[in-house]
Amino acid sequence: MLKEKIAEIKTKSFAEIEKTASEQMLYDVKVKYLGRKGKLTEILKNLKNLDEKKRKTVGALANRIRMEIENAIAKHGREMSEKVDWEKEAIDVTLPGKKQELGHLNPITLVQRDIEKIFTSMGFEIADGPEVELERYNFDALNFPKDHPARDMQDTFWVKSKKESLVLRTHTSPVQIRYMEKHKPPLRIVAPGRVFRNEATDAKHEHTLHQFEALMVGDDISVGNFKYIAQQFFTIFFGKETQIRLRPSFFPFTEPSFEFDISCSICGGKGCRTCKQAGWIEIGGAGMVNQNVFAAAGYPKNKYQGFAWGFGLERLAMMKYKIDDIRWIESGDLRFIKQF
Amino acid sequence: MKYSYNWLKELSKTKLAPKKLADLVTRRAFELEETEPMSRGLENVVVGRIEKVEKHPNADRLQLAKVNIGSKILDIVCGAPNIAPGQKVPAALDGACLLSGIQIKEAEIRGAKSQGMLCSEKDLGIGEDHAGIMILESDAKVGENLAKYLGFDDVQLQFDILPNRAHDALSHIGMAREICAIEGRKIKFPSIPLHKRGKIVGNLSIEISDKKICPRYIGVKMEGIEVMPSPTWIEARLKTCGIRPINNIVDITNYVMLETGQPLHSFDASAISDQKSRINIQVRKAKKNEKIKLLDEKEYVLNENDIVIASPEKALALAGVMGGENSGISDETTSIVLESANFNPTMIRKTRARPGLNSESSYRFEREVDPNLAEVGAARAIELIEKYGGKNVKVSAYKDVYPAKVKPWKIKLDPDYAKSLLGENIPEKKIKNILENLGMKVLGNLVSKREVEIPTGRIDLKTQEDLIEEIGRIYGYENIPAQAPRTELTAPTPNEKRIFENKLKDLLVGLGFSEMLNYSFYSASDIEKCGLGIAGHYEVANPMNPDQQYLRRSMIPGLLKNININQKHFDEIKIFEIGRKYRDIGKINPDEYTVFSGAYANSRINSPFFELKGSFEALCRSFRIKAEYKRHKRKYSVWHPGRVAEIWIKDIKIGKIGEINPLTAKQYGINSRVALFGVSVDNLFNAFLAKERQFRSISKFPSVKRDISMFVGGDIVYADIEKEVEKSGGELVLGVELFDLFEKDGEKSLAVRAEIGSNEKTLTSEEIDAVMGKIISNLEKNLKVKVRK
Repeated sequence: MLKEKIAEIKTKSFAEIEKTASEQMLYDVKVKYLGRKGKLTEILKNLKNLDEKKRKTVGALANRIRMEIENAIAKHGREMSEKVDWEKEAIDVTLPGKKQELGHLNPITLVQRDIEKIFTSMGFEIADGPEVELERYNFDALNFPKDHPARDMQDTFWVKSKKESLVLRTHTSPVQIRYMEKHKPPLRIVAPGRVFRNEATDAKHEHTLHQFEALMVGDDISVGNFKYIAQQFFTIFFGKETQIRLRPSFFPFTEPSFEFDISCSICGGKGCRTCKQAGWIEIGGAGMVNQNVFAAAGYPKNKYQGFAWGFGLERLAMMKYKIDDIRWIESGDLRFIKQF
Repeated sequence: MKYSYNWLKELSKTKLAPKKLADLVTRRAFELEETEPMSRGLENVVVGRIEKVEKHPNADRLQLAKVNIGSKILDIVCGAPNIAPGQKVPAALDGACLLSGIQIKEAEIRGAKSQGMLCSEKDLGIGEDHAGIMILESDAKVGENLAKYLGFDDVQLQFDILPNRAHDALSHIGMAREICAIEGRKIKFPSIPLHKRGKIVGNLSIEISDKKICPRYIGVKMEGIEVMPSPTWIEARLKTCGIRPINNIVDITNYVMLETGQPLHSFDASAISDQKSRINIQVRKAKKNEKIKLLDEKEYVLNENDIVIASPEKALALAGVMGGENSGISDETTSIVLESANFNPTMIRKTRARPGLNSESSYRFEREVDPNLAEVGAARAIELIEKYGGKNVKVSAYKDVYPAKVKPWKIKLDPDYAKSLLGENIPEKKIKNILENLGMKVLGNLVSKREVEIPTGRIDLKTQEDLIEEIGRIYGYENIPAQAPRTELTAPTPNEKRIFENKLKDLLVGLGFSEMLNYSFYSASDIEKCGLGIAGHYEVANPMNPDQQYLRRSMIPGLLKNININQKHFDEIKIFEIGRKYRDIGKINPDEYTVFSGAYANSRINSPFFELKGSFEALCRSFRIKAEYKRHKRKYSVWHPGRVAEIWIKDIKIGKIGEINPLTAKQYGINSRVALFGVSVDNLFNAFLAKERQFRSISKFPSVKRDISMFVGGDIVYADIEKEVEKSGGELVLGVELFDLFEKDGEKSLAVRAEIGSNEKTLTSEEIDAVMGKIISNLEKNLKVKVRK
């Protein structure tokens, strides 16, 4: 008897719960069945009047149904609250987002960071030096003879000074001396920075340039080591296997000296317009540090060996980003900068 | 220098084709700059013999020629009247493409077949004569390629000779020696024996005033000279090397220079002899203001830095640079004095620095020439003049003044050091071969004796490393394997300042600013427009133009120029630059420091100050730096007088932020308002370093926010209020924030929100009220504000 009654409560209450359309209606159903005078509550209250065996089975059933009804009410309540008019909520998702302009770095900074990252990963320290440099550091200490043509007026910007002969540094090499004066080998540094050449500007020439200098000194650093470091650098920089070619050259501060070419990053060495069919692109100068330079930095002669290496960041940036005119770099034109 | 491939091949016996040879030389010695086949435009042009000439049936002015080109006889229509049977002429065949632009094809010309074209010098691009067909010598071989007949079957190879190698490599012998060494053998050059004619003193005397200006002077008098054009092969070689043929004597001096590297000069003996036919050559420094008229017909005023060749009466030539106007070789010359000498490089360099005085001769002398080469040059020139200078040429006097003979020197070489520096185990036999093929002598056994004798022509070889370079490059750098250095694995000390700068840049980019790189220079006009004052500016001694006359002491002019060029494309401009400023403080080392500056302009905003300041504050917050802004009292004309603040961190002024004086902006063509800041990167960086970065535990106790609205008098600025609130509330004030600001009827109203709380407990409302009360009463008392209650 009682069992059927409980089953009927379940069926009815479930049907009623399903039909409710508001919080209030749902509450009313809850009160009707589970409230203090609710139908199921009545049965539970009267359990005590049953014999023990019956009380156990009916009690368990009634309690289970009570939980089922409670769950059904909770579930239906949740469903009602989650019901939204999605049509009304719809927006035009193709409209643009709120504009938030980001700035852009100059390509020289981007290339400089690449270089610094690769070199520091190989254990090179980043060094720095002044741009207005003493003639002594820019030329004398680097073994430039007194009457070397590079000191001529056409290449070097000279700075008027009452105290000491000053130049705008023509290369980053003075940093070598400044660093070696304060540090003993073994050492590895890279020194990127601004340099100046008294040259008329055109699509390929600028009077204000950026260079970097790499210097590695130890007891037995060799040409072979230089080739290795250079190969590592370019392979990572261009993201593909790059070959290095050394050709004889002359710089007062290195002996032996090289020009170095890399296999053309466009055609991979087969020959194309960029490399003028040569398969190689001339990149910069390098060499084994001249013993006179070590002496100028205060090292004993013939104790250390090292390589020094430098090239222009503009050239690398122009190659990497296919920039056709060097003057863009310091043009200040945002139409240029915003592309990077 | 431009080299003749054929000449190099003859001297070096190389078997490599021009391109291969150039490639090899590029890798081992000197870079190829350009190459040019001399036969360009002469392909498919051959020597033809005219067999028969007939009238053209349909045209009065044309003729029909039968031309024998060896393999067959062609019909060629020709318009020039100067042809006749038996003549040898250049015949351009089907497919030829002449320098003048004419392309040859078989064709019918007014009804007659024409299988080619007979050419004038102008058609071929080898001369100016276009009046008639070029008539060749009768010994020309029928059917031979015209380029070969003319000596134009050559290739010009232009190599960039390194400055330290000008002594020996600016010559065909020098380059041939390189080629031989690269190919692994010694050059075999018929060493020209020392001329025995030293005894013939004749009436030729030579005086050198100072051996420093002229270490050696050889004079050779030769008689029986007939001036005429040189043989074709000499002319062809000169042309290949870019030198215009003139006459046999001048051409031979040039030829010998190109071959040996020794510059030579020839005088007309009659023009420098005295009345008794004595020749007295003096080599001396020019006198101050001494005048001389040179071959270029210009008069030069000399000084003591110039060397002249003179007779006792007057200067005859500017030594090592250019000959005098009236003493050179002319068609009437019958006797000459040949000069093969050596001059001081520094003096030659100073002399030729005058415009127009750069010559092949000065080019070599200013790079220093071996005095021993003078003899080689003289001997070779005598040999050639005896052959091509006339039928009865003889040497009538020979004098060699050489006070301090230069002898070969020795360099110690440690083969182990060579191997270590190159990073390659080169066998000692190979080292020895390389050095000897380059003309050096390895004394005894390399291992035991370790000495190398250097020929005097290799002035560049002075140290052991110089020799190692020779070994390395001839061995071939491509044969040295790349090798990882063996070194301690140490982490590099990070460059904190660079890291900081990079962080600054990244933050600015995030805030919408783009990076500018401006020149380190500006002009006097920039200094004036920005009211910077000339004091403390470094001036460039040799600026290229007035825009680069001064080194920047301020970043403002550069940024204003940037805004000017961008304003036509962008409404809003946000830019920054990190760069160096330079200041002359009268010390040896310039005061050079890195500045970080930014600018903001927006054509739609009339007061960009707070936009920019907001960005700067965001930066400072990111670095946990608390900057203070103080009203700037001193008047700088570049700044808007009422809208500029000094930026302070603790007790250090690190820079300024403000709006640019609109009048200054206008001078840069900028119509909108510009806000700008500039701070020292070092100061900012130090403040960043000084700041302790440690976690502060987050208070468990709630805080409350209380607002204070007030009317403020004219003198009081916001910073005073904020400071007063913080001071009065002490530790319980967790933060102060401006939330409202307006001005009405001349009264400034301002509202701040203070966050009040404690780390130790939950404040009671009485405690909060007490703090607020103290704050309000202090504001009223100390700043005379009216707090709205």
